[in-house]
Amino acid sequence: MFYLAIKNILFYKGRSITTFILTYFSATLFIVYVAFMDGSHVSMLHNSLKVYTGSIQIYQKDYRDEGGYDYLIYDNQKIFDILNNTNGIKSYTSRIETFGIASSKTDSSAMMLTGVDFTRESGISELKNALVSGEYESSGNCLYMGSDLTKRLNVHVGDEISFVGNAIDYSFAADIFKVCGTFKTGMYEFDSSSAFLNREYFDSVFYSQNTSSYIVLNVNDLNENDKIAEAIKPKLDSQYRLYTWQELMSAMVEAMEVDSIFGYISMGLFFVVIFFVILIYGFINASSRIKEFGVLKSIGLSNSEVDKLLIYEMLILSLSAIFFATVSGGYLAYYYELNPIVIEGMSELYKDYGIISDSIPTRFSVFTITWNIGLILFLNLLSVIYPIYYIRRFNPIEAMRHV
Amino acid sequence: MIELKNIQKYFYKGEEREVHALKNINLKIAQGEFSVLTGSSGCGKTTLLNAIGLLDKVSSGEIYLDAKEIAHLSDEQKTNLRLNKMGFVFQAYNLIPVLSVKENIAFIMRLQGYKESDIDERVNELAELLEIKEKLDYLPSLLSGGQQQRVAVARAVATKPKIILADEPTANLDHKNSESLMEMMKQLNEKENITILFASHDDYVVKMAKRVIHLKDGEITEQ
Repeated sequence: MFYLAIKNILFYKGRSITTFILTYFSATLFIVYVAFMDGSHVSMLHNSLKVYTGSIQIYQKDYRDEGGYDYLIYDNQKIFDILNNTNGIKSYTSRIETFGIASSKTDSSAMMLTGVDFTRESGISELKNALVSGEYESSGNCLYMGSDLTKRLNVHVGDEISFVGNAIDYSFAADIFKVCGTFKTGMYEFDSSSAFLNREYFDSVFYSQNTSSYIVLNVNDLNENDKIAEAIKPKLDSQYRLYTWQELMSAMVEAMEVDSIFGYISMGLFFVVIFFVILIYGFINASSRIKEFGVLKSIGLSNSEVDKLLIYEMLILSLSAIFFATVSGGYLAYYYELNPIVIEGMSELYKDYGIISDSIPTRFSVFTITWNIGLILFLNLLSVIYPIYYIRRFNPIEAMRHV
Repeated sequence: MIELKNIQKYFYKGEEREVHALKNINLKIAQGEFSVLTGSSGCGKTTLLNAIGLLDKVSSGEIYLDAKEIAHLSDEQKTNLRLNKMGFVFQAYNLIPVLSVKENIAFIMRLQGYKESDIDERVNELAELLEIKEKLDYLPSLLSGGQQQRVAVARAVATKPKIILADEPTANLDHKNSESLMEMMKQLNEKENITILFASHDDYVVKMAKRVIHLKDGEITEQ
C-alpha cells in the first residue's frame, strides 16, 4: 500500500505539489512566527528582569504582603554569605525602600525612594543604561529620578526637591535632594514614581544602616534559575522567603500567556484557511479518483486498505514537506536568534513601550518546533477524514460508474 | 461450484422501485466451465455478473460458492472473497494507471502475500502466455486496448482464482484482438481449470463459449 501511495503521489503531480507547497509554507511560516513571538516574549521578560527586577529576590516573610519597616532584613551579611557560597549567581545587591511625598516648587507627587549601592546596582539592573540626562552614579544628596516623575514635579537636572517620609523607626524623616540624573526604562509606573539615592546618604537620613527591604540577585543562566532558587531556599532562615521572577512578575507572565493565546488564535485562523484548502483540494482529488478506488475495491482491496492508501499519501506528502519546513524554518529561527533583525532607531521610537533594543528577538527552541510541526501534521491528517468518509459511501460498482 | 437461487434485483429511484433488473434467477455453474451470459443490451447480464462477483447487492435470493452462502456476508468478508476466490476482467480494462504492467499483474499476488520470487515467476509465465512480455515495464496508458485487456486478464488469473468474471471483455477490441484474447482465455480455462463466466453480446464470445446462458428482461430464457 505504501508503494502504491508513492506511485500515486508521483502520478498525481498537481495535487502532490499543491499539498506539498501549502504544507511547506504554512509549516515554515508557523515555525518562524512562533520563534519571533516567543523571542519577543523572552525579550520582554529579560528586559523587565534586566531593567530592575532581577531573577530572584529575598524578603523577610511578610514584607510583600504587609509592607513597612517591621519586616526588613537586618542581617544582610548572613544572606550575602549564603549567596557567595551558591554556584551560578552572577551578582547581588540589597535595596532599601521608603515611600513618601516629593515636592518641587510647584508640584508634589508620591515617590518611592530606594537606597542603592550604585556600583553593585549596575551589575543587577539596567538603570545605568536607562540614563536620559545628568549622571547615574552620584553621591551625597543626589537623586537619580524617573523621567516621568521629573515631569510630574516639573523639575530638571540641577533642581532641588524636598521629600518627606519615614525613617525606619517610624519617625518623620525629611530632606532636600538635588536632581542629578534622570532615567527612562519604558515602564511608566516605575518611571513616574521612582527615585534612587546612594545607600550611604539614605542610611544617614532614614537610620537604615545594615538593613534592607530585600536582596536582589541575578543568575548566570536564566534557565538554571529555579534550580538555583531551590539551592538557596534551604540555607535561608525560616523568616525569609525567596521569590523567583515568575512569582514576582506573575502578571507579566500571565499577560504573555494571553498574548501567546491571541498569537495562536491569529495563526489558527491562518491554519483554518490552509486546512480547508488542503481538505477541499484533497476532496476534489479523491472525488476525481472514485473510479480508481472502485476498481481497487472490486479486485479485493477492503475499505480500510483504501483508507490506509489515502492516509499514506497524505502522510508521505506532509512528512516530506514538514521535513523541509523544519530545516528551513528551524534554520531561519536559529539564524535570527544569533543574528536578530536590527531596525535602527526602533528602541528610541518605542522606548515608551519598554523596548530597549533595536533588534527584533527570535527564539529557537527544538521543543517549540516539534509541537509546531506536530500540529501541522495532525491538521493535514485530519483533512483526509472527510475524503475517506466520502469514498467509503460507494460500493465498488457505484464507484466504478462514478463520473 | 456456484449456485444462484431465486435472485431478484430491483433498482430504486427514491423510495419507488424503478427497474426489476433480475427476475427470480436460478443458475448453477460448475467448476471449469467456460460460459457466457448473453442477451440484448439492458437484459441484466452485467447486473447478474456483478451480483455473482459480489460487487453489487441483490434484493433477494441466495448465492452459493462451494455450497456456502455468500450474498449476505459483510462487506469485509465479500472483499476477502473477491480477493481470494475471484478474478475480474472489465470492459474498460480498469488497470491501475500508476502501476506498470508488471506491477498491475502482481498487484493481487502482493495483496495475498506471495513471495517476490513466486510473483516474478508467475508474471513472466503469464506475460509469455499473453504475449505482453516486452511491455512489462510500460504504464497501461502506453498500451493498445488489446494489450491492456490482456494485462487485465493476466491480473485476474495471476492468483489462480476459482472463477473469473469477465464483463464485455471484447467490447473495446477489434475482431483480431477479440479472437486472440478469447483464445488465450480458453487456454487458461483448459490449462489451469479456471471457471470463466463472460457477460457479452459479442457473437464470437458466444461462439467460443462451451455454455451459453440467454437472458431477456432479467430472466434466463435458455441455457
